Amino acid sequence: MARITAGIASSHVPLLGVAADTGKDRDAYFGPIFAGYDWTREWIAKPENKPDVVILVYNDHASAFDMKIIPTFAIGCGERYKPADEGWGPRKVPDVEGHPDLAWHIAQSLILDEFDMTIINEMDVDHGLTVPLTMMYGAPENWPAKVIPLAVNVVTYPPPSGNRCWALGEAIARAVQSFEGEDLNVQIWGTGGMSHQLQGPRAGLINAEWDNMFLDGMVGSTQKLRTIPHIEYLRETGSEGIEMVMWLIMRGALGRETRALHRHYHVPCSNTAIGHLVLEPVDGTVPPSPTLEGNNAAAQSAI
Amino acid sequence: MTEKAVIGPRDIHEYLSEFDDIPGTRVYTAARARQGYHLNQFAMSLMKAENRTRWLADERAYLNEWPMTDDQKEAVLARDYNRLLDLGGNIYFLSKVFSTDGLSFLQAVSTMTGMSVDEYKAMMDAGGRSPEGVRSIKGNC
Repeated sequence: MARITAGIASSHVPLLGVAADTGKDRDAYFGPIFAGYDWTREWIAKPENKPDVVILVYNDHASAFDMKIIPTFAIGCGERYKPADEGWGPRKVPDVEGHPDLAWHIAQSLILDEFDMTIINEMDVDHGLTVPLTMMYGAPENWPAKVIPLAVNVVTYPPPSGNRCWALGEAIARAVQSFEGEDLNVQIWGTGGMSHQLQGPRAGLINAEWDNMFLDGMVGSTQKLRTIPHIEYLRETGSEGIEMVMWLIMRGALGRETRALHRHYHVPCSNTAIGHLVLEPVDGTVPPSPTLEGNNAAAQSAI
Repeated sequence: MTEKAVIGPRDIHEYLSEFDDIPGTRVYTAARARQGYHLNQFAMSLMKAENRTRWLADERAYLNEWPMTDDQKEAVLARDYNRLLDLGGNIYFLSKVFSTDGLSFLQAVSTMTGMSVDEYKAMMDAGGRSPEGVRSIKGNC
């Protein structure tokens, strides 16, 4: 069996990868950002917390996917993934090892649950995926966990709604629970954000008040974040703040109620507000699937 | 759900109609994605080291291999990123162009704001641009 034991949220600014790769991560500029991850690095190294597999929700930034194909939700079912060359050569970090058994199980389960996933067997992974690994693990010879990449379109409008992302998280939790292979400690990470705008005369927008409202909303039993419309992210958090819908996939997968183990917020990193949370489920139950339980009256009444 | 759902418009016309109300922002809609398709695919091609070498050797010749409009080609040559956004460019694709130039996101992004790199960096270090007054054109808030 497999179980989701924790959720992590983190920004994935590419400059953080550059800072780590060039030894600047403890300088005056980056030090306060990386210091906010020290707690997590210590926590995740403890045997009882160490995940076997991380479902890593991120977005590709014109690296593996160009404009030819725009999958809304894509799940990596491959054996391994190489760091992408994003225009300045690939990051010199380890290859990312997948977990095809669990990934295919999740992919099949999600499709039966009416989430029509795109399945990826081969791709390179960019800073959206490798920077969170760096933030949580530093620079090990090999990444200590296997990774199932889950890529979300948050570039071409419309991205999926926050509500749909949350519901996908709930479906992922159902899928993980029904895995019959190894006994696996699974974490789910939601990455990207927080407020930032990388384009146009309004570039540089940061909204610490809104970001902290969002951090608050990830904790406890409230579901208020799932109904925030896209236009609110655009107005309040900048054109690239929409990445935060990916955090809601993680939040949905943690079930009814969460507790915050760690929280970190810092402005700025380059153009972006850094946010980071470590959450654990207090009540990890998720609603039964309206699809899989469609003929079961008792399950339907619980939805 | 126990709380009232206000997810936003489900009608695509209503959904899109609000996007032009945000000051200084070009939302990357399907219309822009169609307009900028070849521009963005050109930029994407710079992810390959051998293409970057050819591009740097003769930018105009390289651009002429792509079915882009003259406006798009001129804006690329001028590194006019606001103009490129208007012509359907997306910042993540355009980042391949400025990365090849050796510019960071902060340096490239600052060129769209009418500020110098130093002024822009100082604004970011002081907490970034406030959302006050730049949320909505018609709402003036």
